[in-house]
Amino acid sequence: MSTNVLAQNASPSGDRGRPVIELVGMSKWFGSFQVLKDIDLRVYEGERIVVCGPSGSGKSTMIRCINQLETHQEGEVIVNGEAFGSNVANNDLIRRDIGMVFQQFNLFPHLTVLENCTLAPIWVKEMPKAQAEALAMSLLERVRIPEQAAKYPLQLSGGQQQRVAIARALCMNPKIMLFDEPTSALDPEMINEVLDVMIELAESGMTMIVVTHEMNFARRVADRVIFMDQGEIVEEAPPAAFFDNPRFDRTQLFLSQILHH
Amino acid sequence: MSDSTLVTTDEASKALVFKPKPPRPAPPSTVGVAGWMRANLFSSVPNTLLTILGAYLVYSFFSMLINWALINAVWEADNRRECLDLVGRSGACWPGVVEWLPNLIYGLYPKDQVWRINFGFLALIAWAVPLWLPGVRSKVAIGLSAVLIYPFLASYFFMGGEKGVIWTLLIALGVTGFVWVWLTTITEMRYGLPFTRVMAGILGASGKPEEAQRSYGRASMGALFLISLIVVTQWELPEVQTRFWGGLFLTLVISGIGITFSLPAGVLLALGRRSKMPLISLLSTTFIELFRSVPLITILFMFNTMLPLFLPVDVEVNQLLRAIVAVCLFAAAYMAEVIRGGLQAIPKGQYEAADAMGLGYWQSITLIIMPQALKIMIPTIVGNFIGLFKDTTLVSIIGLFDLLSMSRAVGEDSRWLGLFIEPFFFITLIYFLFCFLMSQYSINLERRLAAGARR
Amino acid sequence: MAITESTSVRTSKPTSSFINNETVRSVFYQILTLACVLGLGWYLVSNTIENMSTRGMSAGFDFLDASAGFGISFTLIPYREGDSYFRVFQVGIANTLLVAAIGIVFATLIGLFVGLARMSSNWLIRTIARWYVEVLRNTPLLLQIIAWYFGVFTLLPRPRDSLGWGEMFFLNNRGFYFPAPVAGDGFGVTLAAFALALAGAAGLIWWARKRQEATGKHFPAISVGIAAVIALPLLVFLVSGRPLDWEIPALQGFNFRGGVNVPPSLAALILALSIYTSCFIAEIVRSGIQSVSHGQTEAARALGVKPSWTMRLIILPQALRVIIPPLISQYLNLTKNSSLAIAIGFPDLVSVWMNTSLNQSGRAIPIVAMTMAFYCIVSLTVSFAMNRYNQRILLKER
Repeated sequence: MSTNVLAQNASPSGDRGRPVIELVGMSKWFGSFQVLKDIDLRVYEGERIVVCGPSGSGKSTMIRCINQLETHQEGEVIVNGEAFGSNVANNDLIRRDIGMVFQQFNLFPHLTVLENCTLAPIWVKEMPKAQAEALAMSLLERVRIPEQAAKYPLQLSGGQQQRVAIARALCMNPKIMLFDEPTSALDPEMINEVLDVMIELAESGMTMIVVTHEMNFARRVADRVIFMDQGEIVEEAPPAAFFDNPRFDRTQLFLSQILHH
Repeated sequence: MSDSTLVTTDEASKALVFKPKPPRPAPPSTVGVAGWMRANLFSSVPNTLLTILGAYLVYSFFSMLINWALINAVWEADNRRECLDLVGRSGACWPGVVEWLPNLIYGLYPKDQVWRINFGFLALIAWAVPLWLPGVRSKVAIGLSAVLIYPFLASYFFMGGEKGVIWTLLIALGVTGFVWVWLTTITEMRYGLPFTRVMAGILGASGKPEEAQRSYGRASMGALFLISLIVVTQWELPEVQTRFWGGLFLTLVISGIGITFSLPAGVLLALGRRSKMPLISLLSTTFIELFRSVPLITILFMFNTMLPLFLPVDVEVNQLLRAIVAVCLFAAAYMAEVIRGGLQAIPKGQYEAADAMGLGYWQSITLIIMPQALKIMIPTIVGNFIGLFKDTTLVSIIGLFDLLSMSRAVGEDSRWLGLFIEPFFFITLIYFLFCFLMSQYSINLERRLAAGARR
Repeated sequence: MAITESTSVRTSKPTSSFINNETVRSVFYQILTLACVLGLGWYLVSNTIENMSTRGMSAGFDFLDASAGFGISFTLIPYREGDSYFRVFQVGIANTLLVAAIGIVFATLIGLFVGLARMSSNWLIRTIARWYVEVLRNTPLLLQIIAWYFGVFTLLPRPRDSLGWGEMFFLNNRGFYFPAPVAGDGFGVTLAAFALALAGAAGLIWWARKRQEATGKHFPAISVGIAAVIALPLLVFLVSGRPLDWEIPALQGFNFRGGVNVPPSLAALILALSIYTSCFIAEIVRSGIQSVSHGQTEAARALGVKPSWTMRLIILPQALRVIIPPLISQYLNLTKNSSLAIAIGFPDLVSVWMNTSLNQSGRAIPIVAMTMAFYCIVSLTVSFAMNRYNQRILLKER
């Protein structure tokens, strides 16, 4: 089951065709402060995008606009050819194809790990309980914590919780996965167990947008790295070019700050 | 971005300069008054209907209130009949409240002695003002003196009567305390030194060792006390029995005493309940749970009927004192639970750190644990004070003439028979103002402390 | 002082100091405390015995069987003037519990409503709700009770000029009157239908859960269940020829007869208690729901869960853990506050027992003890149950 879920977008480097995500001239304001300035971005099927930038640069807001946890005020957000609009039911349908993983995990503390994973399949997809549980178990195995299924989230370590969150998102069989700083709230020794899961997911061909400062992950997995500052995309390039030969002074400064510890 | 990507990257060493786009103003429909109204009042059809309903409710409430309290109100009349003849029930009849105003505030306190109440409360304000003045450093001492010494001064002012030796000494102490507070405030604001140090300097001890300076300071305090004592013996106030106390004055006296007593008593009870000594913990717990599980009115009744039974035949306890004892014990039990909550919220590490520094039990409690526990519980503690202030109205049931009883008496006065709503409205404003200001002050304080902790 | 002394002693003679031995100290302090408490107790008891003998009072419970000899204006359970003191005690408890039960229902409904209004996205509604809470919880309850009683209910017109709604509900200075249901022959069938519908609804919910587990299909069992519980008895009631009569209050002479009468004191008490408590409940509801982090809602939204289900499956289960303990303590407060009935002459426990009976019989000690015992038993039972609940719902953490 799980291999089906993960393997359907097998060729990231085939002909590009139609983009699965399209941001066209998207702008957003918090009050009178402009957080996003005319963002244009196309993401193709199977692509892995890493977004980085200083804090407050708008990167989290941008990916939160992609599944409309934040609403933008200008421009368009198009997913699989359908634009988010004012029709709430339609927006919910579009959102089903997008899985999201949060910095703070946001697991439901009153439900067991298994129940966290089966909640959406049962209530949103109307899946029989046994089938949902089988699906959840297979995905928990994939993130290597099937033995924790009966525990409650707060009984797990941060890394385990984040892996449950990934499994929970995968249970909805999404075509796109958004990661909002998935390792920022983790202790250093737990970062790799989460990154390993994400790398494996990437290798299976999932379309992914990852906001992260893990540059080794970007180098290894990303098709494109996007650098944002002050609400706009400063530079986007394949990882090799981005890290070895950044073109903008701002990018160089940022890289020198995060790579020289 | 688009034009800069056109530039070729043949000179890899020379970086392109990132020029951020200037921010554009937000779409007009989302900011400013229009944007705010759209988001908060008219975001959807049901929301707009709610806004209209709410506006109608607000309008009808305030138009009713203003019509009754101001526009149709009668301001001059000799009795309620006149008011009713003029406007019926469509307007308030304020003359009754105005006529009773002195009683609402001072109860039946003799008119020519009322200045003593005013003076007593002004003294408290004057005592507390230095706490908010910049440059004053002995704030803890001033605050403690306001709690520990001021009551002697105030109670004599309010009660009066023959002084006797003990009372004379206590009043002199009160006067000394008051003078000391202001002298210290002035010297600390001007010279940055407490009063005793300045006195030592004036007496020529500035170059001498610490010990000598202290003794000079002590001597000046002694002199101050003697002067006060001489002054105090020169005058005497006529006695005003507590059965004449009433109105807002009585309410403030009872709640003031309750508040001052409940905090230290609550601290002790909370410590007792958490004590490792089983007997002390059991006794504290029993006391707390007993007083918390019964209504205040039953405790008031109990003390009212049983206190005379509990005490020797010849001891007379006046009714006010019975009520105050009941209110204090009740408030202490509630305060104990609040403080226990604060103590439980202190991380174990703080206790361990205090132990590790070799502090004894009382040292670690007073220096490390209690300051933190009190600080995090400020909103709840003030909430308890507000509750206590509201609960003082219950003394009216056992026959004391607090603000509530006084306002009921207006409608029982033969000239203002049936005039209930107006005095109730008036005292509601008073109670609300006191409670609301207290709660706003605590919110303010909490915010300031939180800001201080973040820095 | 003692502490600095003891530490210095400890550093110089670390092992041999008997006085600083912690156990010895603790035993010493406890004996001291016990002595103080016993001394105080002996002092109080001896004084009381002396006082009681000089005043010729008795502390026994023998008076409970004696006839109380006074009337009670409102009784939930039957009472006649010649009944015993013990019956008066029961009447008081029944009346207190009646006020508490009705007050709790109204306070919860109003509080829930105001609490939700406090969180409305509409600024005006939010602000109105906020000031409702601020004004009413910052004025004394006793003032509110008295204001409702003297300021509203006693100023109502005489029975002859009653305010009426549809010749069925009447409001005057004797209280509030509404029709009393009188069951006719065959009303049992309607009751049976009601019971049947309740059982059916429970079965329906069970079936819907089973079916969802098996097939994944949703069925709106709760709404259908509620509809059935209302519709089925109603249908049976209509078909069986409406076997329920309403005894409608009617003016006879100077007063109303028939129907149910809520006397002004009871109406004022319930109104004031439920409005005052509703402010606190509103704040509890609001802070409970807001205590669930926004991340929970976002996670549910990102998974595509509908807002109404997010509320039911994610927010409420977490919020209720925060809401229920303070809510129960508000219910307890309301019960205790119902003792303020004495201020407007409603015969609750404190009023008929601790006031009237005590003044008539002079048995201060047994009467105070029985009253306290009642409130203590209620409070301690509830807080014991509360502690069990709190332990059960604790979120499982590491």
